[in-house]
Amino acid sequence: MDIKKMFYGEYGGQFVPETLIPALDELDHAFENAIKNENFIEKFNSLLRNYAGRPTPIYFAERFSRKYGLKLYLKREDLLHTGAHKINNTIGQGLLTSFMGKKRIIAETGAGQHGVATATVAALLGLECIIYMGKLDAKRQEPNVKRMKILGAEVVEVENGSMTLKDAMNEALRDWVKNVKNTHYIIGSTAGPYPFPKIVAYFQSVIGKEARDFFDKNCILPDYVIACVGGGSNAMGIFQGFLDTNVRLIGVEAGGKSNKIGEHAMTLNLGKKGILHGSLSYLLCDDDGQVAPVHSISAGLDYPGVGPQHAYFKDSGKIKYDFVRDNDALQGFFELSRLEGIIPALESSHAIGYVIKNQELFKDKVVLLNLSGRGDKDMKIIEKKI
Amino acid sequence: MRGIYIVGGYPDKESFLKIADIVLNKMDFIEIGIPFSDPVADGPIISSAINNILGKINVKEIIDITKLLGKEKNIFYMTYSNIIYSYGIKKFSDEVKNYIKGIIIADLPNRLHDFFYQRGLEIPIIPFITPESRESDIKEIIKYRPPFIYFIGIRGITGSKADLDNSEIIDKIKVIKKLTDIPVIIGFGIKGKKDAKKAISIADGFVIGTEAVKVQNNLQLFIDFVNSLQ
Repeated sequence: MDIKKMFYGEYGGQFVPETLIPALDELDHAFENAIKNENFIEKFNSLLRNYAGRPTPIYFAERFSRKYGLKLYLKREDLLHTGAHKINNTIGQGLLTSFMGKKRIIAETGAGQHGVATATVAALLGLECIIYMGKLDAKRQEPNVKRMKILGAEVVEVENGSMTLKDAMNEALRDWVKNVKNTHYIIGSTAGPYPFPKIVAYFQSVIGKEARDFFDKNCILPDYVIACVGGGSNAMGIFQGFLDTNVRLIGVEAGGKSNKIGEHAMTLNLGKKGILHGSLSYLLCDDDGQVAPVHSISAGLDYPGVGPQHAYFKDSGKIKYDFVRDNDALQGFFELSRLEGIIPALESSHAIGYVIKNQELFKDKVVLLNLSGRGDKDMKIIEKKI
Repeated sequence: MRGIYIVGGYPDKESFLKIADIVLNKMDFIEIGIPFSDPVADGPIISSAINNILGKINVKEIIDITKLLGKEKNIFYMTYSNIIYSYGIKKFSDEVKNYIKGIIIADLPNRLHDFFYQRGLEIPIIPFITPESRESDIKEIIKYRPPFIYFIGIRGITGSKADLDNSEIIDKIKVIKKLTDIPVIIGFGIKGKKDAKKAISIADGFVIGTEAVKVQNNLQLFIDFVNSLQ
């Protein structure tokens, strides 16, 4: 195994128990073969088209644009089957699971979108499915728990630690170590050990490809592309369509309530280099290396780590990482709902809140925003704010 | 080589020192766990002891109490990558290299040992062999002449039960022994005297973790447990 290919600059790697190494090698091998295999690619593309509902539209948000003085285009991943971009990756990795001859899949989930997308693909492909979800997340994203159960998945509520995404991932890793022979772990973000960041980025690259095609056809490029960043899969998905241009790329992290440790999830803005869940990246942890508690109003961004490609692009300056607070995200949530009739996920609402907060910067500019998911799942959090 | 794993600093510094002394007197080596907030290789018993002590003791203090146990002792550390990385790999190494004989990093696979060596670690990292390891993997790790090889007797996390009659395990250990004279220690899944005896018959030793940590907060029960292994 060429160690160098596991790293993006200095970030990435395979910091996992030895027991998982053969499975990661097998996965890497299967993935490299699959993407050269015409049948696999055809099946993947056909499911994206006929099952998930791709390509998703690019919608010009006219009333929002008029009010805030810019030209805002939304990449409508919220219109996909199951309601978020997560399905792109789970279809890809679900097919890989069958390709490897495995019959059982596990996944972690925060907001529940990845869990629902995994449970959906498990039903579609006839695979056994176990979803790990922090107890706090299960409570605040309850509709998604019900959806997963309806789809036939077993949902394990994790009561360790902060009872959120990080702890769900710990538990999924423990399951994988035990059952690695017959099980594939579908990691939902561009995080985790190599080859997951590569695989997830590949399956999500369709977002950027479609967006780029749209602008190419209209013979323009946006001035900015904006996406929210938790683990970083939707952002990596859309940014990949514009890495070869000078379009300014901005990832928006969850600023939570304040800069105080425990009150935000600004890994790239306030974290330092560290190792968690298989890769070296930026991490929110104390001087002793203990992972710090995090907070975000959106369960999908409530994570102390971030994918290694983002760490690499932050250092290189190719992508700028900024943040907005919970309240800015809430404002974005209501503004898009009431100006456009689109209820966004609280994760994506961070990107919208960022546009509102920085409206001077975006004045008269063409801005493409990845609307990574829809907000139905967030009713429990939102109902107190109406 | 008979060893016991205990969680560093648990249940408190004073009790820990007493327990560590007992282990060093009655067993061949001790493995001291440096707590990490996200112990993905550990089951509920060890995770819960780690959670209990987190925030009450830091890495520097564990290093300091290790030093109280004396130089030239058969002390090993077990921890996770981020603990050493965040402390500063070279700084960590400089501070403890004269006090411990090796380090087990639960989330560091053999192929990434160089990642730590190249950044200044001068303490031997104990390599893992699992039932899935290939012969080429074994040849790769014995090049470094580690103090011992950690054989993971189960697919699973700490606290699970090993099946030492499993021919897969026995055969794999035979393969290792054919390639090297480096001691093979069975870790993960050793529950008590019966397993320990079995481990010594098929390998060169064992480490008991979960069963020891279960009684780590009760000195008398801990002494009884260690005596039961004799």
